Amino acid sequence: MTAPIISIQNISKHFGGTRALHEVSFDVMPGELHAICGENGAGKSTLMKILSGVITSYDGELAVDGKTVRFTGTRDAESVGISIIHQELNLVEQLSIAANIFLGREFRSGYLFRNDRAMEDAATELLRSLDCDIPPYKLAGSLRVGDQQLIEIAKALSLNSRILVMDEPTSALTEAEVDRLYRVIAKLRTQGTTILYISHKMDEVFNLSDRITVLRDGQFIGTRNTKETNAAEITKLMVGRDIESLDLGPRNARGQKILEVKNLSLAWPGHARGYRLKDVSLELHRGEVLGIAGLMGAGRTELLECLFGASALAPTGEIILDGQSIAPRHPSEAKKAGLALVTEDRKRLGIFNTMNVGRNITMCSLKDAVRGPMLNQRSERELSESMVSKLRIKTAGLTPPIGSLSGGNQQKCIVGRWLLTHPKVLLLDDPTRGVDVGAKAELYRVIRSLCSEGLGVIVTSSELPELLTLSDRIMVLSEGRKTAEFAIADATQEKIMEAATQSWQSYPSA
Amino acid sequence: MSNESPSLMGRLWSSVEFKLILSWLLVVIATMALDTNHTYWYASADSAQLILRQTVLLGFFALGSAIIIISGGIDLSSGSVIAMSATVFGSLMIVLDPEGFKAGHVSTMAVILGIAGTLLVGAMVGTLHAWLITSVGLPPFVATLATLVGLRSFSRGLTPTLTGGKSQIDFPDASLRDALKDVTTITIVFVVFALILWFLMSRTVIGRHLQAMGGNEQAAKLSGIRTDRLKWLAYVLGAVSASIVGIISFADNGSAKPDIMARGYELNAIAASVIGGCSLQGGIGTIPGTILGCLFLRTIIDAVQKIVGAGADVFEGMIVGIVVVVAVTFSQRGGGKLVGKQYFSNEIGWSVIPTLGILSGLSFLLFFGKREWYAPYQAVVFGLLVIGALVVRAVLESRTKASGQS
Repeated sequence: MTAPIISIQNISKHFGGTRALHEVSFDVMPGELHAICGENGAGKSTLMKILSGVITSYDGELAVDGKTVRFTGTRDAESVGISIIHQELNLVEQLSIAANIFLGREFRSGYLFRNDRAMEDAATELLRSLDCDIPPYKLAGSLRVGDQQLIEIAKALSLNSRILVMDEPTSALTEAEVDRLYRVIAKLRTQGTTILYISHKMDEVFNLSDRITVLRDGQFIGTRNTKETNAAEITKLMVGRDIESLDLGPRNARGQKILEVKNLSLAWPGHARGYRLKDVSLELHRGEVLGIAGLMGAGRTELLECLFGASALAPTGEIILDGQSIAPRHPSEAKKAGLALVTEDRKRLGIFNTMNVGRNITMCSLKDAVRGPMLNQRSERELSESMVSKLRIKTAGLTPPIGSLSGGNQQKCIVGRWLLTHPKVLLLDDPTRGVDVGAKAELYRVIRSLCSEGLGVIVTSSELPELLTLSDRIMVLSEGRKTAEFAIADATQEKIMEAATQSWQSYPSA
Repeated sequence: MSNESPSLMGRLWSSVEFKLILSWLLVVIATMALDTNHTYWYASADSAQLILRQTVLLGFFALGSAIIIISGGIDLSSGSVIAMSATVFGSLMIVLDPEGFKAGHVSTMAVILGIAGTLLVGAMVGTLHAWLITSVGLPPFVATLATLVGLRSFSRGLTPTLTGGKSQIDFPDASLRDALKDVTTITIVFVVFALILWFLMSRTVIGRHLQAMGGNEQAAKLSGIRTDRLKWLAYVLGAVSASIVGIISFADNGSAKPDIMARGYELNAIAASVIGGCSLQGGIGTIPGTILGCLFLRTIIDAVQKIVGAGADVFEGMIVGIVVVVAVTFSQRGGGKLVGKQYFSNEIGWSVIPTLGILSGLSFLLFFGKREWYAPYQAVVFGLLVIGALVVRAVLESRTKASGQS
């Protein structure tokens, strides 16, 4: 047996009173792809931050190549060959690809002058080794997320990293980009790179990894050889209890039509295609979940924004909600009409980080807590408490800051915020992004039970299995057009993917 | 549902308001001890009145500024709006009652219309800010920077056309002047004003929405909050509160000199808000905190004047600067620790030590230098002592850093 390349020994880390890691120990072998699994808050990211020198104060020991190391920064970690690809990418959007790859290590000619040409050549070389031929002078901000991630990987390669930490690398990628990432990973492995791979997604963990380590509540639970285990065992280790297979029970009876959209189009001035959405029509009935599938850039978010009056330009077409034609131009109008939108980017567009749990929940329904000109604190508390118990939000009361909750519970708070407005139609834009397995199942159940109360739900997701579990019907968007619609009984991943990859150029221009 | 919030004492102890009250008491006690004339002791009523007047005058527009800051914006124009409002108030009285203005007895109707008109002009300036920010799409910094320079210039241009060529408007009516600058009256008006704003911010939906907008504007809009209307309200409150100060200052100063009046006051208002716990990132801050910030700022300026015995206006800027740096350093999360934080051990830290030493020496000379021949030497010695102390600190920091690494 060879010696481990990384040896983690009794590492503990506390943030204030909360325990992020508790005496975690395990080894990583050279050249392996070692997956780290665990629910949100299990301590995966904290551990990876310690490994890559982002967090420098902790208890316990870390050994690389058998030598104890204590990094004082990411530079230290890079010098022994460890690089991290963060879930939220760390690129300077205003700088070029080459400038980003060599940020802080710029090539110079003489002492003072930057050698941009040499950096661009080197960047081209690196990108070519990743089967990517984007010109290196393009601004990082102009790239798609998948390409940006390749830039990060190229940066790691330029550092001669032997150990690459990837924190949920596929969470924002389209299927095609995921395939390319897998090819890059395979290539890196033939070169002997050791990869630590954090992921929620069982299928990719089982596709890629040699061994799987499970963390739960900051503790080491176990390491398994991938070949000798299965998804059910790993999931069980992660949550520490048997989770029922995701059978959400019988689907709800379809009620009367609640929302109809006819020929919705949204212009896109200055773009080759000319439109973000083109002639999208859909119907939604009470008690029904309509899933919207589509790759990144297909127009899922734009469609929901149009319905909710949140698009920058006014869409054309007709929106009929509960028999009334509406054309909201501000979210407040959509809200009044009976629509609710849970946004995709929770941190940026959803939560109010400076406020506590209770105030985040009541944000949209404060008028129900008003007595005279004043906010009545008791009625406000009752409103938020009703949602905490209805949605089973795990929180120590209403006063902790919203940021102290897990992703899934934050998401439930935002769902609760909108339920308090008594909507007729709930729009959920990728509601389980960054939410762990257990909380996902909870959210599915919540959505299903809301439907049984007569709500119509439209949900988008990047994960097809999720849509297949949750929806009664699935419509597929591709490059701004509706390319297919399936009843759930007819829908398969293959059919959906096929519809989602039709390109707009194949349509006659209208 | 269990409510695991910290104890009342714990919350009190960690609140900005409590820390400010403690610091304020310390300043007052220190001034009592250090002031060789013992003004606070022998003339406590006068001292209190002076500080109260200054606090109230700062308080009005600092509260306006605070609401803008809490809602995620910034208002750099308050000083100019004060000067403009004084000018406009004077101009309106001239226009509405020219004879009375000359005779020194402005008619009540002209006064009431003048005040109402001035406040209306304030609201119009606020509306202009809101339009520039929401419709034109300027950053608040730029929009209010433009009015900061623009409105003062406008007032300077307006004054000579109404006064027959003079660059200032003298306050016309002695009894009106006494009424408008009366400390009891303005304090009562301020208390009412502050209560309304406190009520607005902490007890109404609008207040909650303002905080939400300051914390996350995008999320606020997507929650169906009319952010544009809220911005209008915030900037109108900011400008109107400055207009109130303009009216009072006109009486208080006895004249409106648009070229120098209230110059730089906007920064005092921002400083008072920040000292009072408002975050310039928006979303955080309270009305009581801001009032205490004003009280603390004015008291410490007064205290330095008492102890040093020199003109407070000269050192006001220095004091505000130092207080802002110290207050914000200590209110930052995880910042402001005296022990265990590395301040001087890197290149920039070492480079700043001479700057701090020279500043300390010069301040010593300015504050305490009696006109003795040895005063400059004292200052040099003091500056060197400061440098020595900082070097010792830097060396100690470097050592702990080195031992932390091994």
